[in-house]
Amino acid sequence: MPKLTIDDRTIEVPAGTTVIQAAEKLGIYIPRYCYHPGLSIAGSCRMCLVEVEKAPKLQIACYTFVTDGMVVRTTTEKVTIARQAILEFLLANHPLDCPVCDQAGECKLQEFYMQFGQYDSTLLENKLKKHKAMPIGPHIMLDSERCILCSRCVRFVDEVTKTHELGIFNRGDHSELLPVKGVTVDNAYSGCLADVCPVGALTDRDFRFKVRVWYLDKTESVCHGCARGCNIEIHSNRRRTHHNDGRLIARLKPRFNGEVNHHWMCDTGRYSYKSIESDDRLVQPLVRLTGKGQEKSDWTLALAQIDEQVTHQVGRSGVAAAAVIATPALSNEELWAARGLFLQGMKIEKIAHRCTPDPNGVEDSLLRKTDTFPNSFGANLIIGQPHTADPTVDTILEAAAAGKIKTMFVIGGGLLERYSTDLLREKLRNVETLIAIQTHRSVLTEMATVALPMTSFAEMDGSICNFEGRVQRYNQAMPPVGQSRPLLDTLADLANRWELKTAPRQPENCFAELAQNAGYFAGLSYETLGDGGVNPSRRSATAATT
Amino acid sequence: MNAGLEIGVAVGKTIFIIMFALSLGGLLTWVERKQSAVMQDRIGANRASILGLRVWGLFHIIADAVKMFTKEDFVPNTPHKFIHAIAPVLSIFFALLSFAVIPFGSSIVIAGHSIGLQVADVNVGILFIFAMMSVAVYGVVLAGWSSNNNYALLGGIRATAQMISYEITFGLTLVGVILIFQTLSMQEIVRAQGGLLFGFLPRWGVFLQPLGLLLFMTAAIAETKRIPFDIPEGESEIIGFFVEYSSMKFGMFMFADFIEQILVAAMVTTFFFGGWQVPYLGDTGFAFPWGTTWDLNTWMVESLRVAAFVVKVSFFCWLQMLIRWTLPRFRFDQLMNLGWKVLLPLSLANTLATAVIVLWVGR
Amino acid sequence: MGTVRVIHVSERRRTLTFWERTYLLEVFRGLVLTARHFFVNLWRHSLWLVGVKSGPPGAATFQYPEVRRPQSPRLRTLHRLAKRPDGTPRCVACMMCETVCPAFCIKIVAEEVDDSSIEKRPKSFDIDIGRCVFCGFCVEACPEDAIRMDTGITEIGALSRDGMVLNIETLLSLPPKSERGDKPVDFLQQQLVQ
Ligand code: SF4
Ligand code: SF4
Ligand code: SF4
Ligand code: SF4
Ligand code: FES
Repeated sequence: MPKLTIDDRTIEVPAGTTVIQAAEKLGIYIPRYCYHPGLSIAGSCRMCLVEVEKAPKLQIACYTFVTDGMVVRTTTEKVTIARQAILEFLLANHPLDCPVCDQAGECKLQEFYMQFGQYDSTLLENKLKKHKAMPIGPHIMLDSERCILCSRCVRFVDEVTKTHELGIFNRGDHSELLPVKGVTVDNAYSGCLADVCPVGALTDRDFRFKVRVWYLDKTESVCHGCARGCNIEIHSNRRRTHHNDGRLIARLKPRFNGEVNHHWMCDTGRYSYKSIESDDRLVQPLVRLTGKGQEKSDWTLALAQIDEQVTHQVGRSGVAAAAVIATPALSNEELWAARGLFLQGMKIEKIAHRCTPDPNGVEDSLLRKTDTFPNSFGANLIIGQPHTADPTVDTILEAAAAGKIKTMFVIGGGLLERYSTDLLREKLRNVETLIAIQTHRSVLTEMATVALPMTSFAEMDGSICNFEGRVQRYNQAMPPVGQSRPLLDTLADLANRWELKTAPRQPENCFAELAQNAGYFAGLSYETLGDGGVNPSRRSATAATT
Repeated sequence: MNAGLEIGVAVGKTIFIIMFALSLGGLLTWVERKQSAVMQDRIGANRASILGLRVWGLFHIIADAVKMFTKEDFVPNTPHKFIHAIAPVLSIFFALLSFAVIPFGSSIVIAGHSIGLQVADVNVGILFIFAMMSVAVYGVVLAGWSSNNNYALLGGIRATAQMISYEITFGLTLVGVILIFQTLSMQEIVRAQGGLLFGFLPRWGVFLQPLGLLLFMTAAIAETKRIPFDIPEGESEIIGFFVEYSSMKFGMFMFADFIEQILVAAMVTTFFFGGWQVPYLGDTGFAFPWGTTWDLNTWMVESLRVAAFVVKVSFFCWLQMLIRWTLPRFRFDQLMNLGWKVLLPLSLANTLATAVIVLWVGR
Repeated sequence: MGTVRVIHVSERRRTLTFWERTYLLEVFRGLVLTARHFFVNLWRHSLWLVGVKSGPPGAATFQYPEVRRPQSPRLRTLHRLAKRPDGTPRCVACMMCETVCPAFCIKIVAEEVDDSSIEKRPKSFDIDIGRCVFCGFCVEACPEDAIRMDTGITEIGALSRDGMVLNIETLLSLPPKSERGDKPVDFLQQQLVQ
């Protein structure tokens, strides 16, 4: 392995490593525009110039491979002057758009200019005019004046999505990044273009002018859009609530995880945050009193009603006529608590999570999975596995339609994507006591005897297992919407009323209990899961081989 | 003179001197604000108006009185509510009482009766004033104590220490005056100042006791707790004995201050500036040292004398204001040093020197 | 202005002479000084009173509501939003002022405009003058020179807290002092009318 010295510090790296990567390992950050670890190397921006001993000229760190005994300097005067000159070039035709540019605050031009800028312009020429505010797809806005022609976006559509919508046209200072004639940039990952672009040339139309990026708080989370479980950051606007149309979550951004999603996420997942603060959220418990219509209620009354109605109904028609649907939209902890309460506590045998597949599920070679439930793997482990009869949601719905189910709990979302409203209304007609614990209003909450609001994944901590069994944590990014409460609290309250054993209310403790009892999670804790998650199946495989 | 008439005359004189003190005191509240303003290149209070008439802010006297009376009278949570209420009254009462022995004129003859222009010609007038000024400390110390407030109590203690310290100098300087004029009666002292020194200089205390005057003024200002000796009150900075007073009770303390100021002016006038004496004016008219005479009848002479007294007192009120708005406050240690280490030895020396000279001249 | 005099601390703390330490002479000098002011001012006041107003006035103060103190051109007074020649706000809702404001009293909501040479503008722009500390940071931060504190208005009042919140219409309608001249704006009146 070659050994090299960067800024008087020595490191040994595998052959084929570039200087920029080796420097990163030492914690030395070399400024760059065109280099992106998820894309091929272009070496076009020249921002990463460093001094390499014995080389006649400055070398680009992103495309210089390390050799044994190499000596690199990144902070010499020559390098600094080169950076200043490169920035002057890049900004030669760059508009003074920062006040209206959404990239401001996370723009690499701004950042590096503050660090290495020349400050006094020596240019006399007028700036060239190019296209401004040009929507090139459903999610992306192009401002080609701001483009520094680093070609990251071109490489992204060529190499990652392989959709080839973008190109750099014309020559010299008239070069301009544009979509290929007649093409709209509407690939399934187009939102990533705004992340890839180091400047404000490609910005997100959805986020446009909503809120300044420096107002945002970042929370590490996991996308709940499909079974991939892409690692994301939730950017929330909690401090200046008059921005972002008064909503808290401003956007989702992919978070690098080499095992799951690398640098990317799909558009469906990216814009799925809108449902969290949508108008059809269930924000208040609803109660249907005998002989009356459904009414808005409060938690005390709603819980008392559940207590009374369910006890009464189960006493009359028996546990065999009771069923629970707990969808894989729930976290491991919530599923564990549900299992504890319904299966072990109330002895309800019919507890199901498996549904017919989502007809809208898409699979591709990059990230997306057909299973649009985030936690099918976990649900199989926690609810499905120990129970041999293993009813599915379909069989329960059939039994309900046949009038064999009188008491039913429907917990968690995702059913409406798979079953039509009419079908659900038809099947659940004969259920006398329907308890719906849901995030959103739907036919389920409408028909429910008692409907309770629960928090979505952005409003609580939890963990889910992706399709290959990787256990990943997500964190609370905002306070619960309306009066909704974490499901763990609701289930614990119910268990208390019925004097049954309760699962811990704290997700972390609940996970610890799960880890003690379910073999798959053995030895795991929130701490060991960390930010990137752990895949126990792979861990045991590696343990076996070594 | 029958008893009834005597009482009537006494009451009349009392009313005159009290009205004089009170109205001058009221005026001083305005003078204090206006004089400080003019000294400091400002205009001063000038907004209170009646029917658009402002008369240089004179109506502020009325406005202040109305304000004082209508403000909430806040009484602190103290077990000594009665003492708390009586303390300001004591302050103002003893200050007013001292005026009884101040002669504001010689005497007038009405219907064959000679009436001395002095409420009470006590032959120990000076001692009476001493007594009153000593008792005045009660108002202050009781106010501080009954307020049930540490700051007020400390203010009261500072006041006591200060007043007792300066009382000694205050008294000792007057010993010089007593030695020279050989009497304790105020009226006698004033009369004694009627003669001439070296044939042209009025025989006023100021010329006989120049150092005494300085010491007396200093001690008197300290006695009345006015700047630069306002350590017991120090309204805005160190908090004084009347911090727990509001409304007219506070107003009484304020007013007592002004009354004492007039009292000091009256004493300085009486002891050092010839009281009601007008230079070269005898009982029958002017007799100038170069021989000219100018006859006047008794009424004119007496009017001139009362006017002279008023003018002199007003001037010393003005002078005290000037001092109050010129000098910065002393520190407490400076105050004590000045009192015990400077003024006391000086006044002792003054007394001694005066005694020696009086003995020598008398022999 | 001329030369600058440097005062050393040691110079200020010089030792006092004997006469200064006796204090008596200094007291007398002080009294002479204040008395001189008293009599000179009294004389000037008297002259003005009888109608002779050619000399200097007796007081250095301003009789405020009737006479106003001249304002420095740099004085930070009530904010206004500058307009483009066509009357639209210059502000592009960049949020620099909102971000820099130490009192958190600016609230801007942005919106998009069709004109791609402007792109962004404030939909609403509220300043809570009741919380403003008149630091002028917002003016300093504005890249568009859109927010200015040159109205010359210093009397700001309202009958409620909400009344102290100026909206975009008010801010755009306020003229700079240079255009208004010395004509006073009764701000409270204006607020009440709204
Ligand atoms: S791309 Fe960066 S430098 Fe250019 S206008 Fe936007 S924020 Fe400013
Ligand atoms: S649009 Fe952005 S990513 Fe694409 S070439 Fe220009 S600067 Fe690079
Ligand atoms: S002057 Fe200062 S406090 Fe007032 S709005 Fe501007 S930045 Fe905020
Ligand atoms: S800084 Fe200027 S342009 Fe930006 S929002 Fe404030 S007033 Fe508008
Ligand atoms: S980052 Fe190396 S040339 Fe662009």
